[in-house]
Amino acid sequence: MHQVTLEWRDGREVTVEVAEGETVIDATEREGLGVPYGCLYGACATCTGRLLDGDLVHVERANGLKPRHRRAGYVLLCIAEPHSDCRIEVGAEVQADLVPNPWK
Amino acid sequence: MSTDEPSSTAEKHGHEHHEVEGPGYPTPAAMRTESEREKTAFVIALRVGMDVDGSDFIGVVDLDPESDTYSELVDTVEMPNKGDELHHFGWNSCSSSCHTEGLMRDHLIVPGQRSSRIHILDAEDPRNMEIEKVIEPEEIFEYDLSAPHTVHCVPGGKVVISMLGDANGELPGGFLQLDQSDFSIDGHWEADRGDMEMNYDYWYQPRHNVMISTEWAAPKTYYPGFDLDDVEEGKYGDSIHIWDWENKEHQQTLNFGEEGQIPLEIRMPHDPEETQGYVGAALSSNILRFWEESDGVWEWEKVIDVESREHPDWDMPVPGLVTDIVLSLDDQYLFFSNWLHGDMRMYDVSDFGNPRLVDRIWAGGNFADRQEIQGTEIRGAPQMLQLSRDGKRIYWTTSLFSSWDNQFYPEIGEKGSLMMKADVYPDEGRMELDEDFLVDFGDAPGGPARAHEIRWPGGDCTSDVWQ
Repeated sequence: MHQVTLEWRDGREVTVEVAEGETVIDATEREGLGVPYGCLYGACATCTGRLLDGDLVHVERANGLKPRHRRAGYVLLCIAEPHSDCRIEVGAEVQADLVPNPWK
Repeated sequence: MSTDEPSSTAEKHGHEHHEVEGPGYPTPAAMRTESEREKTAFVIALRVGMDVDGSDFIGVVDLDPESDTYSELVDTVEMPNKGDELHHFGWNSCSSSCHTEGLMRDHLIVPGQRSSRIHILDAEDPRNMEIEKVIEPEEIFEYDLSAPHTVHCVPGGKVVISMLGDANGELPGGFLQLDQSDFSIDGHWEADRGDMEMNYDYWYQPRHNVMISTEWAAPKTYYPGFDLDDVEEGKYGDSIHIWDWENKEHQQTLNFGEEGQIPLEIRMPHDPEETQGYVGAALSSNILRFWEESDGVWEWEKVIDVESREHPDWDMPVPGLVTDIVLSLDDQYLFFSNWLHGDMRMYDVSDFGNPRLVDRIWAGGNFADRQEIQGTEIRGAPQMLQLSRDGKRIYWTTSLFSSWDNQFYPEIGEKGSLMMKADVYPDEGRMELDEDFLVDFGDAPGGPARAHEIRWPGGDCTSDVWQ
């Protein structure tokens, strides 16, 4: 069991307990926190968060992230299990960081 | 035939062995002239990728001008799960099922683009729909397919859905076939997919034994957002595929190269005799015409080129981004949207190889003078289109795809998108924005939603194919 603190960009902060073998999205759904998600297998990146602190492991291939995203700390919470207490930035706006408007 | 009744007709049709009763209309002209005005719209609406803790839903919009709730969202049918990204949807049967006695146009097949979940809705009463069956993603993944997109009912009691990826969200995609009787999975539709890897939309002309499919990209490529590096690396489509409809075999690839990057929506004329059509190349912002030569080989040419435009706030010229196209039931007018520019255009296509621009409406986007309607900011720009059966009203929504909205119109992710309408005057070749019509999905019960594809009970300009 690990304590995972979720931080939204509007300042909201919630700490949830994530059990062994549970993904962060499993836990946020159990607690009714409304963290976005889509495919649930690591392809679509709707559930993108940014790891601020701690040890968070993808248990399946994070196909929806490119190497540059991984290096910048972005994680896919539908396939991510904490191996320590963690702090993660969450919310719909985080996904929008991944690919900016290419022409602007 | 009332538009809100599940359609069924006993009329004799213009081709062989036609003594049976089936759903739909005997000809495109019968659908255009004998159906009444649309009174209800089904509008896909989604919460995926928003800070709204809710499911995607089908919005039921009142289109009856005599009604007290005209131009309002009167009902929502919520999906049982979150995160689906409902996108496109279709009917269990249409005019293509004219040989199938007793079959009704009474079920909607509603796929989740991200979840790969497929919902079957009983829509016999369009104002009181119910979810009848859910095909869970795991059942789809067993066929090594994902990301369901275009739904067409096809002759022989089947439903065929284009699938954009394999079970890992990678290439190749394929086609999933369902049985109309119980919506069980038959398996892959295609017998031989040849060199087809990417998939998106498809259209078919059974009288000429042809089906044509288009290309987006692998789900894992387009799901997270539009990255130009992926275009440069060849990860986005630039071709369409010609299939033998009966034998379900890939026959020919039409490669467009630079002229046809990301060919999305495809329309063939409703006239079942026609062996040509249009595809909208979203990124190249061209309309391409394709046709069959006398030797059975298919050719193509560019017939409309939307010029990119300079914008003071953008570093690079802004492409139009042709994201949806629709042909009127009489095949006389083509409409398409330029989602980044902010206009929706009307072309006279009575000479199919020489489309003639007759009118356009500017509303929202990056270039329209009009950025408000009824005091409401136009979030996004004309995108998914649907034309009335009589060709006199065109409706559209303004959201494209959750992650792509985030890049180009991020306000949609916070406040939802809109449904708008214009009156069309086909006899005069012009349109007028209806400023009295607006459905703001930002005010949807339970929180803002992104409105997407639109359909009418009883069939529409993008649902029906004739044998």
